[in-house]
Amino acid sequence: MNKFIGASAAAALFFSAATPALAGWKLIDNGEPVKVAKSAMVVTPGEDWNRWSVRPVKKSEIWTLDGINLNEMYFVSGLKKGETLYKDANKKAQPLPKFDGSMDLTEVPEFMESSIRLALNTSAFTTTNVAPTTLGGHQAVRFEYEYSIDGSPLLRKGMAVGSIVNGELHMISYTAPATYFYDRDLAKAERIMASVRF
Amino acid sequence: MVRRFLTTAAVVGLVLQPVGHAAARASWAEMPESYQPEDDLERGLWLQMDEYERGLKSSRTVIHDEALNAYVRSVLCKTVGEAECAPIRLYVTHTPHFNASMAPNGIMQIWSGLLLRTQNEAQLAAVLGHEFAHFEDRHSVKLFRDAKSKSNAASWLAFTGIGLIASIGLLGSIFKFSRDQERLADKGGLQMMARAGYDTREAAVLWEQILDEGDATRVGRGKKVKKRSTKSGLFASHPASAERVAYLREQSLEQPGTPHQNGADAFKVAMRAWWPVFLDDQLKMNDDGASEFLLDSMAKANGWTPWLNYGRAELQRRKGTPADLELAVRYYSEAIADGGDLPELWRGRGLALRKLDRDGEAAGDLRRYLMQAPDAADHAMITMILGGIE
Repeated sequence: MNKFIGASAAAALFFSAATPALAGWKLIDNGEPVKVAKSAMVVTPGEDWNRWSVRPVKKSEIWTLDGINLNEMYFVSGLKKGETLYKDANKKAQPLPKFDGSMDLTEVPEFMESSIRLALNTSAFTTTNVAPTTLGGHQAVRFEYEYSIDGSPLLRKGMAVGSIVNGELHMISYTAPATYFYDRDLAKAERIMASVRF
Repeated sequence: MVRRFLTTAAVVGLVLQPVGHAAARASWAEMPESYQPEDDLERGLWLQMDEYERGLKSSRTVIHDEALNAYVRSVLCKTVGEAECAPIRLYVTHTPHFNASMAPNGIMQIWSGLLLRTQNEAQLAAVLGHEFAHFEDRHSVKLFRDAKSKSNAASWLAFTGIGLIASIGLLGSIFKFSRDQERLADKGGLQMMARAGYDTREAAVLWEQILDEGDATRVGRGKKVKKRSTKSGLFASHPASAERVAYLREQSLEQPGTPHQNGADAFKVAMRAWWPVFLDDQLKMNDDGASEFLLDSMAKANGWTPWLNYGRAELQRRKGTPADLELAVRYYSEAIADGGDLPELWRGRGLALRKLDRDGEAAGDLRRYLMQAPDAADHAMITMILGGIE
């Protein structure tokens, strides 16, 4: 069962009963290429970021500047058929959708939307501006989204880029409160996404 | 403050409390506007509930649509009485599960998933009446007092205002309504339905649908359907469900209300603008069994309208096997043939055809989608796909 802790919507995607009591942080230096999500994906950030020791799924990674409720980068790389985008914490009652390599790029935003709706138990979710782009030289889809969770006045905005290469999903999303933070850090997130090399 | 959601199978009544004994229902006249807190502990609880309501007011999941709110309130007032409904603050929230709740300070919450599942006004009245009966009998307050005497200080602290409203299911046995209390609320609800002039048989129909939907979910996930018994076992997790259908059916014989008055037409008119939204929410729940069940039962009541065909086409398309895609193409085509003019019909059919390697037809559909929906969120993406197959 998911737990919702206060208004920390973003955090709720990643907290679960299995979250280690002592979550650690590691500084990611700016300008240095770094491997992410225990995969072949390499990015180069333009400023210092903080990497969280919590990984919602095996090949994933979370970064933040000021705390994941204020700005959060979520990296997933090499997600295979049958795997979920976030931790399938409420598998029995409300299982998350599973990735399928036969999806096409238009289905990547649908996959993420359904995953977040279920993980956060919200229907207040909208996807906008779905457009083609590239990720590490591969054809990709870029899309924006916004959502709120039940009982909260806070609107969160996000932007993600996803690509399917050899039947595996590679995706980076950036989520922040619509007020102030999203716009402030969007360019930093875009720069990281543009720096991807495989 | 820890919240957990109630699953689709969550019972409407979970949120309210039972009377410890089969006391006569307090008449409305004996109650002040709504029950007032009696001691410090309760006053603290009330403050928390008020705080919860403040949050609710600014929540983005609350649906502020005037027509929808006015309609749900009109059904509530018709069911429980004009004077009785006046102090109730009603909130319709955009939440895709079957649930409704009422707190002792007069906040009533109706989840949008409930409005997708009730098929007529009488069924909605059955739920509203049930919740109001819990409220009128002060079940929550009794539960609260009961918990206070039973539980230790630590678990007591967890029992916050929000807990009282939404977390009763998770707190387990201590805080669950007893079967007697549920039965009492069902009975009260049925009386109100009858008084308001509804066909009381609809209450049992609604609960039966909910049970069937639960079965459909399990079948859709490759699990076994649970055996139903009208006599619930001692440890049954939802003891009241099958039993409830049985006794509601019996009671509706004694108290038929006004046969065939179910307000289906008024309900249809009120929900017209919202069904597509709530249906879309449901389709994104990764619960194909329940979604198919709901589509089928809505089609039984309304026929396969273009909207419902669009819904089942989207469902098949997302499943993604060639057989599913063929079915999806068929349903999109039926919706179009029946006069459906939603641009997404051509988008969906085009994408399904493309996966079936029927590029020529796909291109025609996608071109039409782009023309009809120049402001579509995915205009740029579809343009690129079209470029790739032309």
